[in-house]
Amino acid sequence: MGSTLRALRALVLLAGFYLLGVILLAALAGADYLLYLHAPSGLAAKLYLVSVLLAIPLIRGLFMLRTPKGEEPPGLPVTEADEPELWRTVRELADQVGTRAPSRIVLTPDVNAAVSEDARLLGLLPGPRRLYLGVPLLQGLTEAQLRGVLAHELGHYSNADTRLAAITVRGRAQVLRTIGHFEERADRTAGRERARQEKKNTKAAAKGKNTKEIDTGHAGITYRTMAKIYIGYAKLYFRATLSGSRRQEYAADVAAARIAGRDATASALREIPALDAAFGFYMNSYATLGSEARLLPPRGEFFGGYGRMLTARQLELVGLRTELPTEPTSPYDSHPPIADRVERVEALPADGRADEGKGTALGLLADPDRTLAALEDAVLNEEVLRFRRTGDWQGLLDGSMAANLASLDTALHRALAMYTKDHPSLPALLKVIDDGQLWQLARRLPLSDQAAEAQGRAFREFVRPALADALQSMVLAELSAHARLRWEFSWSEPASVHLPPAPDGGESDLGAAIEAAVADHPDTGPLRALLPPPAPHGPAARETDAPR
Amino acid sequence: MTVLLWVLAVLATPFVLFALWIAGVFLKEFFRPSGDEADPDAAEALGLLPAERQNTTYAGPLPAGVDATLAAVRGGDWKAAAKLMQDIGRDWERRSSTAYLLAEIAAEEDDWLLAWESDHPDDPDAAVVRARSTVILAWNLRGGKLAKHTTSEQFTGFHRMLERSREEIGRAAALNPDDPTPYITEIWVALGLGYPNSEMDKLWTEITARAPHHYEAHFSALQYWCAKWRGSEKLATDFAERAAADAPLGSLLTVLPLIAHFEHDKSDDNSVDRTPKMIGRVDAGLADAAAADPTHPRLPELRHLLAYYLSLQDRDDAALEQFRLVDGYVNALPWRYQGDGEAMAAYYCRIRNATAQAVAAAE
Repeated sequence: MGSTLRALRALVLLAGFYLLGVILLAALAGADYLLYLHAPSGLAAKLYLVSVLLAIPLIRGLFMLRTPKGEEPPGLPVTEADEPELWRTVRELADQVGTRAPSRIVLTPDVNAAVSEDARLLGLLPGPRRLYLGVPLLQGLTEAQLRGVLAHELGHYSNADTRLAAITVRGRAQVLRTIGHFEERADRTAGRERARQEKKNTKAAAKGKNTKEIDTGHAGITYRTMAKIYIGYAKLYFRATLSGSRRQEYAADVAAARIAGRDATASALREIPALDAAFGFYMNSYATLGSEARLLPPRGEFFGGYGRMLTARQLELVGLRTELPTEPTSPYDSHPPIADRVERVEALPADGRADEGKGTALGLLADPDRTLAALEDAVLNEEVLRFRRTGDWQGLLDGSMAANLASLDTALHRALAMYTKDHPSLPALLKVIDDGQLWQLARRLPLSDQAAEAQGRAFREFVRPALADALQSMVLAELSAHARLRWEFSWSEPASVHLPPAPDGGESDLGAAIEAAVADHPDTGPLRALLPPPAPHGPAARETDAPR
Repeated sequence: MTVLLWVLAVLATPFVLFALWIAGVFLKEFFRPSGDEADPDAAEALGLLPAERQNTTYAGPLPAGVDATLAAVRGGDWKAAAKLMQDIGRDWERRSSTAYLLAEIAAEEDDWLLAWESDHPDDPDAAVVRARSTVILAWNLRGGKLAKHTTSEQFTGFHRMLERSREEIGRAAALNPDDPTPYITEIWVALGLGYPNSEMDKLWTEITARAPHHYEAHFSALQYWCAKWRGSEKLATDFAERAAADAPLGSLLTVLPLIAHFEHDKSDDNSVDRTPKMIGRVDAGLADAAAADPTHPRLPELRHLLAYYLSLQDRDDAALEQFRLVDGYVNALPWRYQGDGEAMAAYYCRIRNATAQAVAAAE
């Protein structure tokens, strides 16, 4: 099949997507007409009713095809006056690719770059283009690599193949959006139903009646049926256009290699999955470290820290780069597996441009620090922006750990409260251990079936790891409350904690002390030696007790 | 109208009769005793025990006095354990099996063992029981289910205990350098932690240098070489055949080819158990059992397997003879793999009763 024919087929299939509902409705009407002509009137009346019921989701589906204008994902729009260098680069690349430059550039907080187009007339006519550019990409890629990525994205809209190919791309995007819209509506209906039933249950419970299990099975069923019909069709559409889309992806890669250089393009492809994994880790372990304590890093550092972490963890990134995903990310994804793409680009003849644009892509921004700060304001919600800013990352770590430890509530706390009918505290726990009641207490922990059935040594071995973990947290919390802990922040390693030195001046061995306290025949002596002496007169004494 | 009713009644009669006949067949089938349950009378007439009286803890009777000693140890008397181990001395076969019995107790509660250790800090007997008990504890934590039905909590405990046992095994071996028992214990660590075959071969050299034809050592190593653990059917069979061929008569190692066959047998009919090769293996086992020391602690394990395969080979008289020699204890292959307690005893009795019935019918 030639490329024009393929595109034509895609066009017909796209038309079918919109006509699907109309065709089904027509089929129903035709069936009714046949009934009217040939069936006895009693039976026909019943079947009319059935056909009306079937028609309802179809008609609703027709209305749903009018998707709302896609909402712009949160980001920081930048004008040409803001970022002249970036705009110049993008224009130049679009020129080289041979397509229109986007009319808007939005910086986003993710490892992603995409050009989108608000196509008009159901995906048939071109519309305004937007470039979404993730700032983490700018932090992780060199300038040449970024050019490769951008050239690829713009390459989707180049008309090198055939004019109709662009329609396929737009059509895919439109169909995906429509399906997303269906699913969203179905979820919302189910959500409303859930809320309604929960309210009913609350009322029933208030009157002392039994509450019913919440079941949203039937809510949104018309939407879901509808969505199923359209999703089925969309899958057909995607399968039919997949080989074409793959071909376009490879073509866009070749275009990118031509414009940005082979090595930069290939290495950018390798880099992106690594940057993505690293960014997920960064957000979890660094940026949002203070979320429970309602703390934020200094202004501009929420995203800015990512760059520092990448620098500190270069060695780990090497490992991530060499393991490339060989599976496509989702069945709807038009991109072939990254491993394939890298292989094809690397197989191109060398172009001697390995040394171009080695500087970081962040250099394209006029003032990276200002932009990173502005991005925070643009994408973090207001509640988060009101969190207290710490002076530096070390301060964020100290504040977060102290707050987390102060509000510590483990399964061991609850078991202890249940066992002693008293406020669960470390002294109370140590007393229980000294009284030889540790293993009775352990029976109150949440246990797996195997642990609950076990007796004697087997039981103790099952619960010992959990006991040791919880006890260690409680000890750290106690030391933290007396400001005896020192946390060490690091971009390259997990945060580590330092205990005050042992009485003899050596290193305190918390692990050994915990082990002794949860041994078969427990001894809390080593642990007590590590703890601050008990305060004689309540909170007032504590102040003097804590060396700052 | 009446005529119509009559016609209908005549037509309906065959249906009614048919329905009654079906109901009768169904009821008869429903109340008939289950077909594959062999009649226990024939076996019990010979003085063999019913399933509920079978001991499901051991494969055969314990040596005289050992039962009482174990009870005393359970009560906290570690001196009884120390004396039992001391009396055995350098009989490695008995030493490893007795150490196992004591370690089973210590895997549940080890206060008595702690007392023994604190009284005799470097006692090699206490050390070997300690090492074995930790390995048994590890396997207790794991449970006997397939890996996919075992939780990560179980695996974590299993691996932690096995790691800990390695140090204890090393200590026991250092305290009694001639004793193969610590190394035999380590085979179960090798299974659990997945030692590479090369490590297993090194371990095996240590064992055979100390006891070339040790039953438990060979039994354990065969488990390691099985496909379900760290070997394959071929490795297991080769190991079993070679060991059986090299062993002197009476060492009971003729059991190994039978076990290798049993462990890898996935067929659902008996033809694979009746091949000339299998008949030859069973004959070798019979000769081996006849030549063995009648008080050998592992002899009943061989007899259980012989009884099973003799029965499958329709050599019912010979099978019944073996059943009579082991009756009363059923914790052995092949019955053990049917489950704990009742299931094990029920399976044993089913095969045994079928054999007894066949013998009675032939007379």
